[in-house]
Amino acid sequence: MTELGQNLIDALALGSLYALIAVGIALVYTVMGMMNFAHGEFITLSAYALYVLAGLPFAVAVAFALLAGSAIALVTERVAFRPLRNADISTQLVTSLAVATILQNVVVVAVDGRAQSVQAPASISESTSLGGIAVPNLEFLTLGLTVTVLAGLGWLLYRTRTGLAMRAAAENFEMARLLGVQADRVIAIAFAISGALAAAVAVLIVMQTGQVSPTMGLTPVLVGFVAVVIGGFGRIFGAVIGGLLLGALSSLLGAYLPDGLVPFRDAIVFTFPVLILIFRPRGLLGGATGEARV
Amino acid sequence: MSGARFRTRSSFGASLLVPLALIAITVLAGVNGTPSFQGTVTLTLCNLIIVLGLQVFIGNSGVYSFGQLGFATLGAYVAALLTLPAAFVVLQTPSLPDFIAEAQLGPLPSTLIAAAISGLVAIVVGLPLMRTSTLAIPISTFAFLIVVYNVVANWDRVTGGSGGLVTIPTTTSVATAGLWAGAAVVLALAFKWSPSGYRLQATREDEVAARSIGISVTKERLIAFGISGILCGVGGALMAHQSGVLNPATFYFGATVTTVTMLVVGGARGVLGAVVGALAISVVNELLRGLEDGADLFGAISIGEAPGLAAIGLGAILLATMVAMPNGLSGGREAGELSWVRRLSPMRPPSLPKSDGAAAGRPPTGRVSEGGLDAAGISLAFSGLRVLEGVDLALAPGEALGLIGPNGAGKTTLVNVLSGFQKPDSGVVTLDGVDVTGRSPSRLAHAGLGRTFQAALPFPDLTALESVAVGAMGMGVGTRRAVRAAAEVLGRLDLLEQAELPAGSLPPGGQRLLGIARALAIQPRYLLLDEPAAGLNEGESEELVAILRNVLADFGCGILLIEHDMGTVMDLCPRIQVLDDGATLRIGTPEEIQADPAVVESYLGSSFLTVADA
Repeated sequence: MTELGQNLIDALALGSLYALIAVGIALVYTVMGMMNFAHGEFITLSAYALYVLAGLPFAVAVAFALLAGSAIALVTERVAFRPLRNADISTQLVTSLAVATILQNVVVVAVDGRAQSVQAPASISESTSLGGIAVPNLEFLTLGLTVTVLAGLGWLLYRTRTGLAMRAAAENFEMARLLGVQADRVIAIAFAISGALAAAVAVLIVMQTGQVSPTMGLTPVLVGFVAVVIGGFGRIFGAVIGGLLLGALSSLLGAYLPDGLVPFRDAIVFTFPVLILIFRPRGLLGGATGEARV
Repeated sequence: MSGARFRTRSSFGASLLVPLALIAITVLAGVNGTPSFQGTVTLTLCNLIIVLGLQVFIGNSGVYSFGQLGFATLGAYVAALLTLPAAFVVLQTPSLPDFIAEAQLGPLPSTLIAAAISGLVAIVVGLPLMRTSTLAIPISTFAFLIVVYNVVANWDRVTGGSGGLVTIPTTTSVATAGLWAGAAVVLALAFKWSPSGYRLQATREDEVAARSIGISVTKERLIAFGISGILCGVGGALMAHQSGVLNPATFYFGATVTTVTMLVVGGARGVLGAVVGALAISVVNELLRGLEDGADLFGAISIGEAPGLAAIGLGAILLATMVAMPNGLSGGREAGELSWVRRLSPMRPPSLPKSDGAAAGRPPTGRVSEGGLDAAGISLAFSGLRVLEGVDLALAPGEALGLIGPNGAGKTTLVNVLSGFQKPDSGVVTLDGVDVTGRSPSRLAHAGLGRTFQAALPFPDLTALESVAVGAMGMGVGTRRAVRAAAEVLGRLDLLEQAELPAGSLPPGGQRLLGIARALAIQPRYLLLDEPAAGLNEGESEELVAILRNVLADFGCGILLIEHDMGTVMDLCPRIQVLDDGATLRIGTPEEIQADPAVVESYLGSSFLTVADA
């Protein structure tokens, strides 16, 4: 019973983390129609900001990491993605792959190719007992952060003028533009938020693993991509569901797979979306797929 | 036959000879070099084969896959395990089944088996993945790459785990790699110029239009995915036998970025681009690595081990290409299509005859049939908004029926329902007595239904001749016959002079006609024309009417003509159906329609009055 409860909370926490990653990717996709490979490097660079600022008080370092995430996202948007705003989805995808490669290796050149360790504050590494279940404080932080972020995003999208503009841009970018939505501003805001989300994810991952490495963004970005595919392109809350499903699956497989199969957990997790796509080629919520309409 | 004098771009020998010559030069440069230089050249050629594998799928479909290196991994491991001496196998991979462990094949059979297995797995993996969308394919193939990596890295007792395999016989020489690369060029070009290759390119150029001429997007993508898997498997197998060592990271994320960069920088749409890109990026890579630390590491393309500078350089080159030169160094052309090569070539394109198509006698179309295209009680609503409400329509074989109505009456939606692009909420569509409600556009095309769209939807990068021929190829006709049929149709539509121009370069009127020619090439029994004159100027419009009259007389198919210009409809169609607000308002002769007060009222303020005056 306790074990089940423990596993369920672990599953929810990992699902929340994946949902945060997926939302950051889905947000940019909704306003710009681009699947951003470089989101993984937004995570990596923010994590390195945390590593570099390790001497500062933790809260200050985290604040800087969030700022760094937003700043990197804004700069890449301005330099690399803006010229290709009207290019087709494949061109944008490959461009973001190029940006990801560059950013990743900037870290290799500037710091090192090997992983570096980062110390998490004691308060985060400890656990709190909850009805006989020892829940790591980090999981509370993850859950709390996810709920806060989703609520904030919901408020932004549905209660503010900026959110209205973003949703309009998501529906029909050209029309929104004609009606006076400032494309540059909407896209910049989406990237800034996406970068901050990536930084939040980076903080959680670094606290979990205690280290940073140049390739640490690869698995998260793929998880986020797959979550968006499962949820259905262009559906922000589809991405949340996709992330929760993937994270829960991964966590529960880790707990219940027979020992011999545990190393193959990732293989099973990444095969799972294929099963979904067999039955629902357009994802769970069946969003727009970039396919031309007649 | 006029068609015999035309050719598709597939007939330009230079397209085959130039890439082969580039490979030959590479082989000659490498064959007498130092052992380390020979290794570099061999690895370049292996990479080239993998890049050609990417080209077959990515270049022709326009859809990116980041999973093809998974097939290279598969090919490499299969070939390695089949050739490792049994004594070494037992040490490295104790759980391998005996018959594989004891197998000690030569390089050729092991490579062929590796290729076959990679191709088979590609088909199995592609079956579900190719059904998804242009954007889901890159992501799910990337997931496949991770799955392969994860399995290979952890299945220690079969694959040697993350340590990999060593002591693999090193049998791949510069010459072997060169021969395989040459074969890969031939295969990639043969595919590109096969009916299947043309059909796939059509889906890249315009997916909707491709479906309307009977092309199954999923099927064509799957075929190319399988062939791509074979080539990647060969590349992987050869590479394993070059370096003698193999680990899961050999063909992982870094190698994926490198090979995709090679393809994109060279120009993904062409085989020439794949060859040029692979060679050019290999040289650049080598120089960058030289800059990095002077070490001769080329070919060990795993990003985990590569220091950052070379990778930054590659990323910057890829980024610059996407921004400034999205079609790559070759512009996506084959060698035979480059103007300077064509000037040098003794095989000039033939001088084109003035259109003599009309003299060719009865067209191949006009299969006389009983029945007709019938719709009964078609209703459809978009999120609660009624668009069609119980509409009936009957188009007899060989008949010309006009469909008119004010904007928003539901004309195009009805055509979409008839042609399978839109499922009705209720109602039945029958084609010559067979219920075809809800069938896919491509199946309906095979059943004899052609259509055009309000936009011309050209295949910009195919020539006019190819654009039309691919319609016949969509019906399963071979290249030669398809080209003949296309020339025939182009002649009838007065487009012969533009036959060898890219479709995207034709003027709007020409593109519109080409859309009609493309639909006619599938030899439809029923043809739905959705506002063929939309967006044309007056002169072009008049020309189009004259040609439509010919089509009606010559091709013998039943035609449903949607047209805003009342004069045109009344001129061409002896029977007219008026749609208003999603329901049929009136069916009758032009005179009856003109005299009907309800029709006049629905058109009040629109072009109808002016036509009535005229």
